Amino acid sequence: MEELQNKVPCREEQLNDLFNLLGEGDECLPCSIFISGSMATGKTLCVNSVLRNLNYKHVVIDCIECYTPKIMYEGILSGLDDEEIEVKYETLMDLTNNLNRLQEATIGNNPVVIVFDRAERLRTMDHNIMSAFLRLRELCNLNVCTIFITHLVYENFYFKMGVREPIKLYFPNYNKEELFKIIFLHQKSFINNLLITHEVDDDIREELEKPELFANFLNAFLSVFYRPCRDLIELQHMACVNFIKYCEPIIKNEINATDLSKLWRHISPILKSSLELLYLRISNSKSVNPSPGKENSDAEGIPNHNFENTLKEELTSTKTFAQSFELPYYAKFLLIAAYLASYNPPKEDKRLFMKNHGKQRKRLQQVRAKAKITEKLNTQLGPKVFTLDRLLAIFYAILEEKIGLTSNLLAQIATLVELKLIAGSKEIDLDTAKYKCIVGYDFISAVAQTVGFNVRKYLYDFM
Amino acid sequence: MCGLASENPLEVQIKLIRKYLKLKIMADNISFRGHSQERNHIYDLFKRTVSHGESHSALMLGPRGSGKTTMQLENAVGDRVFGTFAENLAFLLSCLQSGADRRCKSMLFILEEFDMFCHSGRTQTLLYNLFDITHSEQAPMCVLGVTNRLDVMELLEKRVKSRFSHRHLFIFPNEHDSQRAPQYKYKDVLVQLLSLPVQKTVKKKSRSRRNTVSDDMEIDAALENSLPPHILARYPDFDHLNPDFILDWNQHITGMAEDYKLIDCLEKLCYYSVNEQIFRNILFELVSKLSCDSPYIDVSDLSAIIDKTVAPEHRVKLLQSLSILELSLVIAMKHGMEIFDGQPMNFEMVLHRYTKFANSNSSTQTVPRPVILKAFEHLQELEIIMPVKTTDSIYNGSETTANRVQKEYKLYTLAVPNEDISDAVKNFKALPTEINHWFNNSVV
Repeated sequence: MEELQNKVPCREEQLNDLFNLLGEGDECLPCSIFISGSMATGKTLCVNSVLRNLNYKHVVIDCIECYTPKIMYEGILSGLDDEEIEVKYETLMDLTNNLNRLQEATIGNNPVVIVFDRAERLRTMDHNIMSAFLRLRELCNLNVCTIFITHLVYENFYFKMGVREPIKLYFPNYNKEELFKIIFLHQKSFINNLLITHEVDDDIREELEKPELFANFLNAFLSVFYRPCRDLIELQHMACVNFIKYCEPIIKNEINATDLSKLWRHISPILKSSLELLYLRISNSKSVNPSPGKENSDAEGIPNHNFENTLKEELTSTKTFAQSFELPYYAKFLLIAAYLASYNPPKEDKRLFMKNHGKQRKRLQQVRAKAKITEKLNTQLGPKVFTLDRLLAIFYAILEEKIGLTSNLLAQIATLVELKLIAGSKEIDLDTAKYKCIVGYDFISAVAQTVGFNVRKYLYDFM
Repeated sequence: MCGLASENPLEVQIKLIRKYLKLKIMADNISFRGHSQERNHIYDLFKRTVSHGESHSALMLGPRGSGKTTMQLENAVGDRVFGTFAENLAFLLSCLQSGADRRCKSMLFILEEFDMFCHSGRTQTLLYNLFDITHSEQAPMCVLGVTNRLDVMELLEKRVKSRFSHRHLFIFPNEHDSQRAPQYKYKDVLVQLLSLPVQKTVKKKSRSRRNTVSDDMEIDAALENSLPPHILARYPDFDHLNPDFILDWNQHITGMAEDYKLIDCLEKLCYYSVNEQIFRNILFELVSKLSCDSPYIDVSDLSAIIDKTVAPEHRVKLLQSLSILELSLVIAMKHGMEIFDGQPMNFEMVLHRYTKFANSNSSTQTVPRPVILKAFEHLQELEIIMPVKTTDSIYNGSETTANRVQKEYKLYTLAVPNEDISDAVKNFKALPTEINHWFNNSVV
């Protein structure tokens, strides 16, 4: 028990509950247990380690793997049965019959536990499967218990007809202290990770291995990251990335390992910037600079080999990503025109893009209506579809110079569609083709900046 | 069990008691209480089918956990119980076909989850055939449907209805003793389930003079608190139970049953549910807490478990386990939906409200947009917010060709009730004051 609690820290209460419910030896098991709790709260770990500790016969089914019930049945039976038998288990009836056969043959009264991880997936299957598993005990002679592990609460499992109610357990999230404790347990691996990547002298190494240093780092780290994220896995990953940076000045002998305030000043901007990368899992170590001065006059030439880099770029900053596209001049205007067409109502086109649109009569009511509903702004409702001729009309309106409508120009629209900057239907008839701009405002303003165009001026929402 | 001999005798006893009681609570679905009238009715029906070769059909209805299955299980002992599960259609059909040949034998069909048979046209054909045979005088058989849907008759097709005998048996958890409050019934069950059998001492007495009929009755009475013998046979080691200990335990249970606190918490449970299965689950949890350190059942334990079961508030706990950012998004969404009369919102709208709040409070850390989007998706994964599938919202009513919408613009509604959110905010640990303030001063 002691050993188990060291292995599964901060879950004493839940472990005790599980031990009590599952009993020991050939005690009778409960019918079913329902375990819920947010992601990364140790649900699966607890159940698995308890079962291993009790040495019960058990199968763990990850429901995400079971796209048909058949796979699940076969998984359960092959997990319980020692000998391999090639039988097709198609229905629940096959399952219960075989379980009964196993009971007579090998298992007898010994407890059997079937664990369904990610049980929320069971909802997409036939609705009677979940209700049958909830009362599996009634359906076969085994001393069997089904455990459902999911991140949803029980109320999210809507049963039309009601079912046999399971015993419910809840796993709360780790709080700040517990997170600290758990991450701190892995101090060794953090240090090792650091030592692999960096050459370190022995005396500095000693400094680094001091637990106080790591504790200090963790305090600083959690004070920034605890607010937006409570996912242990993600926090651990981010801590690992940032600890290396924290230690860099120590390794370079720039900051003394005991000078905490200086270290804090060093790390806090880094933490802030890496907060941006939370969940995104981009390694900054491989920062790639796209070769400067590369001229791609043709948009088709967006190099494929650069794709991975550009993806990273996008995730680091929309702005640099937008610039990395290096679209041709007219294509940029076409893209802007597409954005304007998507986010402006068509009836306002005249006022926005024509020089002599006549006087705007502002009625008080209109003004008030417009001011009130910020939630109904076009920029918040998402892009609307537009036709090709509207796009071209806006394109010519925002472009100062006069150019002819060439096939080259039209090909650029196709390019933009190809690049997934504009979503377009695969319509051959140009008159009926509908388009939609699918890039955001940040992207467009970055593009517009490069051609010296003010997008805000032409957006109805900002007028 | 010999291996345990070296251990503390108290521990052994406690373990045995725990095991026995667990077994009694979970495995014993054969002992039977109440509903004598209905029971006799079914028994009569079955008897007539078996002995006189009559054919019958009946339907048993009642809410979940009211003992329907138990009732027919008890009656069906001796007969073969066919197909207790709705899936084995094929099996049932083959029985049906062979049934015509075996004219001499009576058959008993018990269709559990009867409503499952009513869904598609194909299975209704089966019901029709089944009921039809009960009229054809070929094979004596009895069809008993068991369901918890009270409206099951409306589901049946007309032709099926015409073949059905319209014999209904309604079973409700406490219809007979309506003058007694259900918590007293629960108390009886509790005492009955938690008491240990004292058969050994009494048995000896009755064995000496077992010729008369009345003695047999006495044995029955003595064994009342015991498990049915065929279950007991699987677990031989209960013989190690110390009789003195059993007496002591039973006294403890009856003593506890007199406690008015016990009645109080049972009454509370009855407000929520009269489902006996749930009650058994509660007793199971209670019994599993028994150990050397706490060899007796405590009423406060029971009330704690009842509180946990009837009002689990897992959703509030789930909300409380969100990060501050995620909770802020939930609050932003709640406000937005209050302003627009429950119209669904997309990510941009929520973000707009959130940034409005974040900008007005300089103390809050600013979080970049992708992280907020991720938090939003996390909420979606936990089904705290749900995507709107219908197109009747004002936003996309005009857009019939609404081909795939970007995720920022997908519309969501809040899937948790407002009360839960306010509960969660109230009891949130270490919630920044400005968020609490923002929540209470709702509409900006």
